[in-house]
Amino acid sequence: MKIFAVIPNYNERGRIGAVVRDLLPRVHRVVVVDDGSSDGSAEEARAAGADVVVHVLNRGQGAALKTGTVLAVAEGADVVVHFDADGQHDPEAIPTLTTPILEGRADVVFGSRFLGVTSVGMPFSRRLLLAAARQFSGVVLGIPRTVTDPQSGMRAMTAAAAEEIDFAQDRMAHCSEILRNAYASELRCVEVPVQVRYTAETLAKGQKASDAFKIVWQLLLGAFQR
Amino acid sequence: MLIQVILVAIFAVALALTWKRASQGTVPRRDAFLWSSLWIGAAVLVLRPEVATLFAGMLGVGRGVDAVIYLSVIALFALVFRLFLRLEKMERDISSLVRTVSIAQRTEGRAQEKK
Repeated sequence: MKIFAVIPNYNERGRIGAVVRDLLPRVHRVVVVDDGSSDGSAEEARAAGADVVVHVLNRGQGAALKTGTVLAVAEGADVVVHFDADGQHDPEAIPTLTTPILEGRADVVFGSRFLGVTSVGMPFSRRLLLAAARQFSGVVLGIPRTVTDPQSGMRAMTAAAAEEIDFAQDRMAHCSEILRNAYASELRCVEVPVQVRYTAETLAKGQKASDAFKIVWQLLLGAFQR
Repeated sequence: MLIQVILVAIFAVALALTWKRASQGTVPRRDAFLWSSLWIGAAVLVLRPEVATLFAGMLGVGRGVDAVIYLSVIALFALVFRLFLRLEKMERDISSLVRTVSIAQRTEGRAQEKK
């Protein structure tokens, strides 16, 4: 089975190259979707051995992930893995994510930060926010309460599942949208424990608490789109 | 009163313009009816302000002017939300376009590499 890793990249110079190099031995191909970066990180990814496709305008993480997913499926991927460009995700998690699919036990596998493996450097405020997000996901979006991580960015899916999930949120709300679409379908979904490493650098660039409101707003607008 | 004449004239022009656009097909007929009811309603309120008081009584709001303000705020909220929805649709269309361009560029690049 061909496993393609899809990484959205926006100005991750100094980090993206190492992520690509770490992933390459573990997957068939690494597709980096450069989302309009201006810092030369696309070249860094290419030099590290990634297949780079470029968005001429910055369209957001969700949009970049979708481009990479569409491309991976079109180019023969059997399994698509979504991965972050900033080095927070552990490349060792790739087999953990893909094994349930390769063994035919699941169609979609979500990496969870709350299944026993402790994430490194996760701030308490983030933990609290994610607990609130879990309640929101259950009540408003109908995502089962058994789902432990409502904003996980690390996931794997079969090509057929990727086509069925068909997410359209361009920015941060894609995590919730993918979860909702996956659990609302007949697809077999499982969660596996993964470790995330937070550093001061990635926390500064990553999501902030105020982004929670933006995500809710984006989901509301998305609910009215045909 | 002069203000009544000016406002009614503005509403009449807006009504005429709405139906001109509807006949050109740039405004859907359903929207044209909605806008027309808004213009005609506004003109009635300007010419007969006591209608607003009557309406306010029906809603349980004290003064006619208050009822008009409340309804205007609700209408404005609805219009702004519609604008947001349009913007979101436009954003998604742009993303779709950017996606198509990026995949086409890559395919083109690969074809050139093979040559």
